[in-house]
Amino acid sequence: MTELDGANAHSWNNRIGALVEHNPACGLRDNTKDHRHVTHKADYDADDRFELFLLDDGQQKIEHKEETRVPNTAIFTFNKEDHTLGNLLSQRLLKYEYIVFAAYKVPHPLFATFELRVSTDGTITPKDAIIKCCRDVVQDLGVLKNSFTTEWLGKKIVSEGEAERIARENNTY
Amino acid sequence: MDYDPEGGAINVRFLQADNQRANFIVQNFNLETANSLRRVMLAEIPTLAIDVVEVLDNTSVLADEFVCHRLGLVPLSSRGVGELLYSRDCDCDGYCDQCSVVLTLNAKCTGSEIMKVYARDLVIESNRPNDEVGRPVITDAEGTGSCIVKLRRGQAIHMRCIAKKGIAKEHAKWAPSAAIGFEYDPANKLHHLDYWHEEDPEKEWPKDEERINLDGGPANPDEPFNYEAIPNRFFFDVETVGGLDPDQIVVQGIETLQTKLASVIHELQGSSGGPDGMDLGGAQSPTMNGGAYGAADGGYTTPGYGGASAWGGAGAAQGGTTPYGATPYGGQGQGW
Repeated sequence: MTELDGANAHSWNNRIGALVEHNPACGLRDNTKDHRHVTHKADYDADDRFELFLLDDGQQKIEHKEETRVPNTAIFTFNKEDHTLGNLLSQRLLKYEYIVFAAYKVPHPLFATFELRVSTDGTITPKDAIIKCCRDVVQDLGVLKNSFTTEWLGKKIVSEGEAERIARENNTY
Repeated sequence: MDYDPEGGAINVRFLQADNQRANFIVQNFNLETANSLRRVMLAEIPTLAIDVVEVLDNTSVLADEFVCHRLGLVPLSSRGVGELLYSRDCDCDGYCDQCSVVLTLNAKCTGSEIMKVYARDLVIESNRPNDEVGRPVITDAEGTGSCIVKLRRGQAIHMRCIAKKGIAKEHAKWAPSAAIGFEYDPANKLHHLDYWHEEDPEKEWPKDEERINLDGGPANPDEPFNYEAIPNRFFFDVETVGGLDPDQIVVQGIETLQTKLASVIHELQGSSGGPDGMDLGGAQSPTMNGGAYGAADGGYTTPGYGGASAWGGAGAAQGGTTPYGATPYGGQGQGW
């Protein structure tokens, strides 16, 4: 029993008020307005879910650690990232011939972090390999975006024209 | 590209394009990037949703938190959310016009009929950065939107809803897409699937002939299995909730992923502290400076979660300025 519970244990009303007041997901109940003015977070069952993607105070996005037992190898810890980036980088890195090893793991599913281990053949540092890889993906995505927008416009015009034609034909009946 | 045995350029082919869905095929692409794009479109595109509700009056049969939960899930138009700040990056206490849209719901049943309160009854109160953002999405023929509560004679509901910008990683109410279909290799030529069967999977499992034909026809039983083959054609079917146009979901998904990768590049280069001054110009596509679709979005905004601080300061996003202009990429003020 905390002090809070003990202090309010005599009255149900007070206790409910305290629960609301001390529950950050629920907000405040205004006692002056007949307990009716309540502020709620619209549906939260867990607070601080932004911890999934906001860096903590002083936290680095990427921590870089050299592996001393194996040559040309480094482990990068990405904070507040998940499989979206982990799988993308590790799989994409494997397609370069100078990469000897690339894989990632999520040490614990409740913590938004992953570790990427990269080994190269020595012609490039693991860090530069990742930078190169990221740039190539950015470029690919640029090509994709370009193609997508062009095709979307084309298809939209065609399908709108089609819909108009059908509407016109239906009207003549 | 070197990873592509066919050597073709990445391209998109549309099967269907309308206000609700974008059904398209990406060709000569790779699985990991396609899947990352899918994940980003699901969870990391900023939209607007009701986040905090002040209950002024509620004599309906539904409990306060029940109604609040329903309000949170009401789709709001997110066209132009780029002009809103994330509430956590804003200088104000709580919320203000720069980081939120306030809607009120005020209804009282006075007649003998049961009264339904709909999404269309949400009235926007605050000054919005543009006319579109925050408007409840209404797509049904009656023009009512979704039903929030029913009221009997004498019952009333009065709520003040504060809608904020967020991403679906925090809560699914911020998801821009209702569903994203994602498929590759419908004929299972790569044997990534191992179909459960009693006698013969060929007879027992249904086939999507149309898709299979779009993907180069069924497997030739006379050919040996090509164990080096990799997927390169991906079927996407992006359906919007209504807050964003389906093409904008895809385009913003691509941009969000590019921003994410750019932040990795920047972070890695920054940690070396080297004056190599590598500029991102090399990695850009010619479309980046706003192609035909630049209207709603002047190129890149910061992925405001994490704010500018993710890239080590430069609080350009703070101070009540627009979120534009704060680039995560070192000194480059403008550009992609």
